[in-house]
Amino acid sequence: MTDTTTETPWEPPLAGTDVTAILGSLDRMRWTFRWKAADLDAAGLATSIGASTLTLGGLLKHLAAQEDYLTTVKLDGLPMGGYWADHGWDGDDDWEFTSAAHDTPEQLYTLYDSAVARSRERIAGAVGEQGLDRSVAANDGEGAHANLRRLVCDMVEEYGRHTGHADLIREAVDGRTGEDPPAGWRP
Amino acid sequence: MTQTSHTDLPRIPAAGTEIETLVGALERNRHTFAWKCGGLDADSLRRTVGASKMTLGGLLKHLALVEDEYFTRQLTGAGTLTPPFDTVDFEADPDWEWRTAADDSPEDLMALWEACVARSREHVAAAYDAGGPDVRSRVPWSDGEPPTLRRLMVDLVEEYARHTGHADLIRESIDGLVGEGAPA
Repeated sequence: MTDTTTETPWEPPLAGTDVTAILGSLDRMRWTFRWKAADLDAAGLATSIGASTLTLGGLLKHLAAQEDYLTTVKLDGLPMGGYWADHGWDGDDDWEFTSAAHDTPEQLYTLYDSAVARSRERIAGAVGEQGLDRSVAANDGEGAHANLRRLVCDMVEEYGRHTGHADLIREAVDGRTGEDPPAGWRP
Repeated sequence: MTQTSHTDLPRIPAAGTEIETLVGALERNRHTFAWKCGGLDADSLRRTVGASKMTLGGLLKHLALVEDEYFTRQLTGAGTLTPPFDTVDFEADPDWEWRTAADDSPEDLMALWEACVARSREHVAAAYDAGGPDVRSRVPWSDGEPPTLRRLMVDLVEEYARHTGHADLIRESIDGLVGEGAPA
């Protein structure tokens, strides 16, 4: 999905289809968030600002969980499994933020990168022939199921919001600012 | 953050068409952003957090400008921004809206943002009626091609979500207000 032959593979198409426009936006947020969280030691990843307890390490783990949650529980009604089942993940957002404080930067980056790789593959597979109109497991409890479009759109919002958090935290850590990664940037 | 997003499904159709979903997402973001900036005095709208110079007042004026730039100047080909932005030299003063927001009252900032949003709603509806999500904006971007309405809508959802993330941390430091969405 991502064209890595260009200097700015995160740039969505100007005139994409409904699928490539929204998946392009999601991927731009992933790249940007990853850049905002990149190249830090444990102290950098544990920094918080103002009255908030959010940290970049916690956001890496939270968004890794969200990627897997989206493509298992919400998409197909499958259990989280894998890393999450093995490490006592309990479905509470606080778990990711609390437990991230005990992980090394390498563990957090690897966890996030592997979750994104799985998610890209699963979402591409889910789009399949039915596109974004296909029904997913997530529902309102009364039988009305969401479509894939809604799941992806929610994820763009989720990333946008957390990348906003990452913007202000990262600026406080080492002054890094900017809307998108610099051309040619790679994790 | 969206662990229990089933609870907010009513605010965006669960299985909507593309335009219903994008409009719903944009409206939900505008609503959350307005809540994060609402009910504060002028001093509070000038507060910053951490090392950033961003303020809630600056965010209101910036998103008013973004609405006007995307959905009025570009989408309709209006040729110019709407007052007060039309007389600003943004090349000479690129942070104009952030800087001057400190001199505006909370009422004026909210009214400016709401007026820009109201125009955007009209222009998006008219553009969609004319050509659906593939209809082209009137102003080309850097590579010479104008984006589609779809691209502008998706960009605005991202823009609002990201700035609402900024507003989250600033607002929490002002009076402790936190939360993913406004209370019902």
